[in-house]
Amino acid sequence: MKKTVIMMLGSMVLCANLAAGEEHYEHRKKSEKMTETDPLYVSECAGCHMAYQPAFLPKRSWKKMMLTLEDHFGVDATMEKEDEVKIKKYLLANAGDVKRVGGEFAEFMRSIPSNETPLSISKIPKFVKEHREIEKRLVTQKEVRSWANCAACHTKAESGNYSERSIFIPNYGKWDD
Amino acid sequence: MKSVLLMLAFPFVLLASPIESYMQALAVQAKIEVPNFKGFSVQRGEKIFTSKHIGKKGKKISCVSCHGNDLRKSGENIFTGKVIEPLSPTANPKRLSKLKDIKKWLRRNFKDVYKREGTAVEKGDVLRYIQSK
Repeated sequence: MKKTVIMMLGSMVLCANLAAGEEHYEHRKKSEKMTETDPLYVSECAGCHMAYQPAFLPKRSWKKMMLTLEDHFGVDATMEKEDEVKIKKYLLANAGDVKRVGGEFAEFMRSIPSNETPLSISKIPKFVKEHREIEKRLVTQKEVRSWANCAACHTKAESGNYSERSIFIPNYGKWDD
Repeated sequence: MKSVLLMLAFPFVLLASPIESYMQALAVQAKIEVPNFKGFSVQRGEKIFTSKHIGKKGKKISCVSCHGNDLRKSGENIFTGKVIEPLSPTANPKRLSKLKDIKKWLRRNFKDVYKREGTAVEKGDVLRYIQSK
């Protein structure tokens, strides 16, 4: 008897968790802040780089990304299968071509040719165009290192704000287009 | 008498930290790999951690390249510029506290620096080295 009750309680908890999980991965509303707070996404992806907003890439890019984790920009980014499934679901639900995104995210999406599947956000035509005037030495300097380091210059990048007003380039200063 | 001993031992079994149980499992594996295995070594671990190799990206790197020389201080991912919290469990109690993370980073980082997974001896050695810092 006792055992049955415990089992029943156990399965109730399990169901509740699954239900919460479903809810969790629904699209975020447009008005919501773009700071990535999903604990799994942050722990698995933001150990090595900023937690990029999934809206920067279309669904097809994230699908390809999750299939090539063994060689993720030259680095091993493999994870447990269970986590991989959850993260993929999260990325696909929040990709730039599934949710209604505004501002620069929408422009990024529109600039990608439909027959291309970019993996680097920094190779997206709109990104290239927006950064064309930045001298290479400002990117390779040790305070920045690479295009992957958004927050080195976009001081509010983590919250999804890439506006010109929040740009401050190390050893250069404010950016005035 | 036996039951008293069991009762006394029980809490300690529960309290065995994830890192210590993992090290014990690695030691079992190590004895299979190397029949005269005498235990993990901080010195060998240091060599694994500090020696440079042509890594996965084709660049000569070591663990130090990103984690730095002083494990009690923050490091920085040399490719992305992302800050890496101190690796020393003394400076950063979150380190070596979760089995899942320990295994994940050993797998990923051995492949990044050595282009292969570490052996049980190597993993144990490098963990002992990190613990000693």
